[in-house]
Amino acid sequence: MSTLKPMPRKRNLAWLWPLAGGLSLLLLWSGIIVIGEVRPFIAPAPWDVAVEIWKNRLLLVQNFWPTLLEAVAGFICGNLAAISAAVIFVHFQRVQKMYLPIAVLFNTIPVIALAPILILIFGINITPKIIIASLVCFFPTLVNMIRGLEAYTRSEMELMRVMSASRIEIFLRLRLPRSLPYLFSALRISCTSCVIGAIVGEWIGSTMGIGSLIIQATFNYRSGLLYAAICMSSALALTLFAAVIASEKKFLRW
Amino acid sequence: MSSPGSPTQAALPVKAIALRDVAVTFETDAGLFTACQDVSLDIEAGSFVVLIGPSGCGKSTLLRVIADLLPCAMGQAEVNGAPPEAARKARAVSFVFQDSTLLPWRSVVDNINLPLQVGRWNALGRKQRPVAELLDLVRMSGREAAMPHELSGGMRQRVAIARALVTQPDILLMDEPFAALDEITRESLNEEVLRIWRETGTTVVFVTHSLDEAAYLGERVVVMAANPGRIADIVDLRAAKPDNRIDRGSQAFFEITTGLRRVLEKAYRGEIAA
Repeated sequence: MSTLKPMPRKRNLAWLWPLAGGLSLLLLWSGIIVIGEVRPFIAPAPWDVAVEIWKNRLLLVQNFWPTLLEAVAGFICGNLAAISAAVIFVHFQRVQKMYLPIAVLFNTIPVIALAPILILIFGINITPKIIIASLVCFFPTLVNMIRGLEAYTRSEMELMRVMSASRIEIFLRLRLPRSLPYLFSALRISCTSCVIGAIVGEWIGSTMGIGSLIIQATFNYRSGLLYAAICMSSALALTLFAAVIASEKKFLRW
Repeated sequence: MSSPGSPTQAALPVKAIALRDVAVTFETDAGLFTACQDVSLDIEAGSFVVLIGPSGCGKSTLLRVIADLLPCAMGQAEVNGAPPEAARKARAVSFVFQDSTLLPWRSVVDNINLPLQVGRWNALGRKQRPVAELLDLVRMSGREAAMPHELSGGMRQRVAIARALVTQPDILLMDEPFAALDEITRESLNEEVLRIWRETGTTVVFVTHSLDEAAYLGERVVVMAANPGRIADIVDLRAAKPDNRIDRGSQAFFEITTGLRRVLEKAYRGEIAA
């Protein structure tokens, strides 16, 4: 009797492709700087940025924490508010008819225009930044969560009704689990946009954070530091994104 | 009529379901749509009744009236001698849908247990059927931890049937449960349903499009016509199928199907038996 040998498992090297893409773009960037003889304060070369990150590591980390705090607090507040609003909206259609159009209208206001108003009301402290970050998260989650809570099939709802399930039971055992894929696709969007919200808030008025670091670096022609701060904000957004993906894998096994 | 409590009453066949001149209407954009009208039907406890007819004849609508998912616009429906709402609240009725409606985030066992976690089941003080027994009944033992997406369509329907039976319902309503399955799987599940019906003594009302399925399963076959939905004829197969058993390959089965086909063709043309 012949035994079947398991095929040697191929190592998953799919991550090499985006890495190669990134390297090629870095190469292009370096080429333009060197060939075009671009002066460092206009645009630094990649290695200048790397050096700048290392030199300013303490400054960068100092300014990383406030932005992280504002972004995460905004992410949590904004999403909790959106989820609660969606739960109320799907259970009370009249409330939805009254307030959903207003939410849509409110969403058309650019967040950069709202920021000064919030600074005027709350002053130059952490509160307006958290509010801006939450506002940025609110709408995508609200819309997706409403869709998700309505994403049950007709027969699933009939099944619950034949079993005489109460509204709370229908919510907990059908609507909420059904909404999770929609919620997570909204969280993927809002976990990166809450960083943008926090940084925009810092631009308008702040002495700390990645946003204020970007403003200071620009005004002082420290383009190396500016690029380093940008890398920092991108790293922050990526960290939050990775956290969302990890919890999605944990909660959405089906 | 015998007086209440007299011994003769127990011998009378108990009506599980009684429909009197039932009409169901829907509001649509084009106006009032009559899904079915003048439907009168008695179903005895423990019997197996099949509803068949063209689409739009209101056979699924009738199941939903019995399950208290739809109200009667006219007439009266009684389940276990009471309004359908009371039977639903007493958890006397279970429903099996065309799509299994297993919740994809729950394992086989958790899906079967779902009816016990909702609708005040614990407050009713009724006895559940043990899950191990149910898995055995639908031949799914050993797969309790499987997730729905790991199962075939036929297996998912078996689990859906087990879920419907966990509350030991008096009445099992099945709305084209095997319509999406292939012929061979469907035939074997037909046999399973008959076996389960015999073992549990549950009243079964089974909606189908398939003439073969109706002829094989039903003690009585209610043939319906469309526009508006109504009962065209009721074919009693109890004499032709002793003990409600028949061999699909037999001459007798061929004759039943042929007879049923004739009645169904008439119903499609809109001719109603007097």
